[in-house]
Amino acid sequence: MALPLPPGLVPSEVAFLCEMEHVTIVPRQRLESIELLSGATPSLRPPRREDIPLWLALLLKKQRRANILPPPWLHVDSLRDLIHHETVTDPTGWSLPPPPPVRADGRGNARRLNSGGPDATVLSPPFLPSCTSSAPAGALPYHWFEFAEMLLAHASDDIPAASDVRSLLRDLQEVRAAKMRTSIAGLESGVDGVMSLLGVGAMELSESRGFVTGVVEGVRKLGASAEASRREEEEERGGADDDEPSDDDMGI
Amino acid sequence: MSYYDVDAILTDGEKVPCTFELDVPYLGHLDNSTTGLKPGTALSLPLWLAEMLALASTGDSKAPLILNMPPCLSERVIAALRADPRSVTLREQNVHLYGVGVRMLDLFDERELGNTLRKTFVVRAGEVGLHARKADDGSLGGQGEEFLRGLEEWERSLFRRAHEGVKSAKEWTEKVKKS
Repeated sequence: MALPLPPGLVPSEVAFLCEMEHVTIVPRQRLESIELLSGATPSLRPPRREDIPLWLALLLKKQRRANILPPPWLHVDSLRDLIHHETVTDPTGWSLPPPPPVRADGRGNARRLNSGGPDATVLSPPFLPSCTSSAPAGALPYHWFEFAEMLLAHASDDIPAASDVRSLLRDLQEVRAAKMRTSIAGLESGVDGVMSLLGVGAMELSESRGFVTGVVEGVRKLGASAEASRREEEEERGGADDDEPSDDDMGI
Repeated sequence: MSYYDVDAILTDGEKVPCTFELDVPYLGHLDNSTTGLKPGTALSLPLWLAEMLALASTGDSKAPLILNMPPCLSERVIAALRADPRSVTLREQNVHLYGVGVRMLDLFDERELGNTLRKTFVVRAGEVGLHARKADDGSLGGQGEEFLRGLEEWERSLFRRAHEGVKSAKEWTEKVKKS
C-alpha cells in the first residue's frame, strides 16, 4: 500500500523545521545558558540582545520574559520593496534568496563567512542567520512565510505596524502563488526545460508541490509516445553516422 | 500507467469506433443483427478489445478491423481546443479525454494532436490551479463553477491535489493563529 502521506513535507513539518531558525531577542530576565542538542544557548542578560532558536524565543515571549526583534526583511518598507520587485521589476522570476553572510576583514575587503579552508561547512537555511536582526533586508529567506506567520501570531506587539505587515504578506503570498501557476506555462513545449525554484520558500513548496508535480506528470504522459518516437528516430540517425568522432577516438 | 490505476482501467473501457474488415460469423448480436458481422460494419468497441484486434494480424491477412479516431478527438473538437482550450467542456466530450488521447497517440502517429493536447492540458491546468486556490474564499463566485464542471478526470485529480496543498497550508495558518 502506498504511504498515506503525500511526498514531501506537510506544513506542520515545515513549521517544525522553521522553529530551528535563530531569532534575535531582547531578554527581560536573566537566564543561564541551556545545554541543548543543537548546542548551548547564550546566557541571557537583559538588555543584551542574543540569538536563540525560534521555539525558545516564542516560549520566552509567551511567558513575557523576552521581546522578539523582527528581522529587517519583515519591515513594511522591505516588504513593499519586495512586492515592487516581484510585480514590476521581475514579473516572471522569483526574488533572490538572501546573499550568504559576509564579514569585512581588517583590510576593507568583504569575504563570505565559513568559505575557504578544507573543513569549512557550507551552511544551509536553519543554520544561517537569516531571521535574526542581522539578516539583510529586501530578500526573503527560505522559511519566510511560516516564520512571519508564527511571529505575527505570537509576537505581533513586537512587530512595528503589524497589521500593515500582515496585509503586505498576504499580497506577497498571492503574487508569488500566481507566479507559481504561470510558471507551468513553460511546459507547453514539453518537459525538457528546468524550472528554477531558487528563492521559493519552504511553505510555498509544500503548498504547490502536488499541483506542479501533477502538471509535469500529465505533460510527461501526453508526450510519452512522441518522446519514444523521437528517441527511435535519434537512434536510427545515430546508427547512420557512426564515424562521428567519439571520446575514445580522440586518443586521450 | 499503473496496473491498479482505476482511471486507466476505466479508460480501457471507453468505446472507440471501428470498422470490420473481415466477415465474422456468430457475432451478429454485437450489431443487433441475426446474421454474422459483414465486412465494413461500423461498430463501437471498448478500447482494450479494439486495440488488440486492430493490431492483431493472422499470418498474411490484414487485421480484423480498422480503428478510427473517437469522436472526442475529432477534427472539430481539436479545432475548438486549438482556438480556446478554456471554453471547451472536456467532460462532455469524454470523461477520460486525455487518457484516450494518450492511447490514440500510441497507436497513431499524430504529432499535431499530441501538441494540441499538451497545450490544452497546460493552459487548463493553470486555470485549475487558480480555481483550486480560490475555491474556498468564493471570490470567483459562480463563473468558475461551469469551468469546474467541465473538467475531465485528469484535471479533476489535479484540482484535488492542488486544493489539498492549498488547504493544508491554510489549515496550518489558522492553527498557528489560534494556539
